[in-house]
Amino acid sequence: MSIDALIGKQNPDGGWPHSRGRSWTEPTAYAVMALLAAGERDRAGRGLAWLRATQRGDGGWGPQPGIDESNWTTGLVALLPPDTLGARLHRAAIEWLMGTTGHESSFEYRLREWLLGGPKRPELEFAGWPWIPGAAAWVGPTAIAILALEKENTRRPMHVIRDRIETGRKFLVARSCEEGGWNHGSVGALGYASKPYPETTGMALAALRGVHAPQVARGLAVAHRLLSECRSADAQNWLRLGLAAHGELPHGYCVPQNLAYRTIPETSLSLLLSDASRAREFFWC
Amino acid sequence: MMNPTLTRREWLAAATAASGTVALTGCTTHAPITPSQVSIVRAPLYDQTLYATVREIVEAHRLDVRGKRVVLKPNLVEFEPESSINTHPMLVHAAYQAFQSLGAASVHIAEGPGHRRNTLDMADAAGYFQTGARFEDVFTDLNLDDVTRVHPKRQFSRLGKLYLPDTVLGADLLVSMPKMKTHHWTGATLSMKNLFGVVPGGVYGWPKNVLHWAGIHECIADLHALFPRQFAIVDGIVGMEGNGPIQGTPKRAGLLVAGADLVAVDATCCRVMQIDPLQIGYLRLASGRPDAHLMERNVRQIGESIAAVKTPFELPPDFPNLRPPASAGKGGVI
Repeated sequence: MSIDALIGKQNPDGGWPHSRGRSWTEPTAYAVMALLAAGERDRAGRGLAWLRATQRGDGGWGPQPGIDESNWTTGLVALLPPDTLGARLHRAAIEWLMGTTGHESSFEYRLREWLLGGPKRPELEFAGWPWIPGAAAWVGPTAIAILALEKENTRRPMHVIRDRIETGRKFLVARSCEEGGWNHGSVGALGYASKPYPETTGMALAALRGVHAPQVARGLAVAHRLLSECRSADAQNWLRLGLAAHGELPHGYCVPQNLAYRTIPETSLSLLLSDASRAREFFWC
Repeated sequence: MMNPTLTRREWLAAATAASGTVALTGCTTHAPITPSQVSIVRAPLYDQTLYATVREIVEAHRLDVRGKRVVLKPNLVEFEPESSINTHPMLVHAAYQAFQSLGAASVHIAEGPGHRRNTLDMADAAGYFQTGARFEDVFTDLNLDDVTRVHPKRQFSRLGKLYLPDTVLGADLLVSMPKMKTHHWTGATLSMKNLFGVVPGGVYGWPKNVLHWAGIHECIADLHALFPRQFAIVDGIVGMEGNGPIQGTPKRAGLLVAGADLVAVDATCCRVMQIDPLQIGYLRLASGRPDAHLMERNVRQIGESIAAVKTPFELPPDFPNLRPPASAGKGGVI
């Protein structure tokens, strides 16, 4: 797996597929990050042009051109530096993120729940981000949105952004699994505790950089265990990033040799993580 | 969580069913119902005999797949070593070989898990790569496949449109291959609920929560109506009971249930599991004429009888009332 392999997968329109087929926003955003980090500015530029051309009127990005709704991939694109994406486009992406919450945080939903008199569920108290508007918030899109907003808040500090980040982090802490770590965002079902996944544990830890809480400590312990067990490229990428965010990636850690890199996001993120300092530039300032 | 109250649409469906029943008892204005054929075949183990068993099932249903594009849709959710969450890879491979040997132009295996993004890693852990040397060549991750916008044909749910993977939209025959399991939100998850896996996570996320907000039962019925050519082979060799579809307990039923009418197949599975199919919301919605192929009298059973193989599955915690009425099976009530 190399930068050349990544370049070889670029579609003629400048974007990337997940593995084959038409261009999608998610793999294109990751590929552009990896290429920028590797100094491949020409190829990255074509990817950036594709992203600029596919931004939607509401400031967000859909998962693929032709899908008429912006979604969580807007947070991924917003991780790109404004000077490469374009300051105006980047600001519109941040505004889209700031205006998006899980449906369970909407006034309409909370009024309905209050009228129905259901029990208050602590895990629904804090606003996170959904994969797609109109649905509930989950760990993955919330982690990505926090990373993007944290970078924005460093560049352009604002109370409203700070508040959304804090609330999003409370959302993540509240969704921590009983044994530690995170899955897609379900603490339990019908009294049964749900188990953590490696990739979402890494994502949540990355977004909780600098947060000191028992849930973070338990999450780190789970991440160390999962790092030694899991053989998924996606999981390894996110666990490394999550542990690195807390300075806990074991010194000299070597990724298992026999991992299969099957998708552009897996390949791109792995390339990006091969240079820790460049990875930091994209995920936190 | 399950909504214990009926939605407006369910009330309408129930009212329609009730009025239909009245009409049927008063004067029979409907054309006679053509019974749907459903096979129940004993299959005690995941072993080499499965290959012949599955081929015999497909042949018994006279499926002409010569020159057709067949897509097998197993149920791949999460992997845990001692669990029975996923459709067994050997069964999927047996179906793959059966359809190939019967002359299909192409046979693909395709799935889009609802919780985890790394589909192929899960398939690998679940043993799918060990069934054949070229598994990756014939597998499509439906979560990341290219998509096309479609509109529900019968519109039970609030979904005005859906983006679905080109691989399943282009199939001449979609074969749903679920695990026979109880489900903590829908009561039972069988060949129709398995269609949730065709909805792409790349568009809707992990989980595909849009479907929950739009009504789980209604979305299942919408998805079922979108695919005109379907077949089902349900893995009931070892199913799951209790708090399914993930945290339940393995339950050995030792059988496969198959047929081209997914409502009839799932209703038959329910009877085997000692669940009243009339209590499963999506089956009521999708059954068309008032409860047509939900009724045992409207199913032409081949292979084993339900009486010979029925085995009560422990019910999910929120569904204590799913058992059929005491008279069920005697007078053909369900």
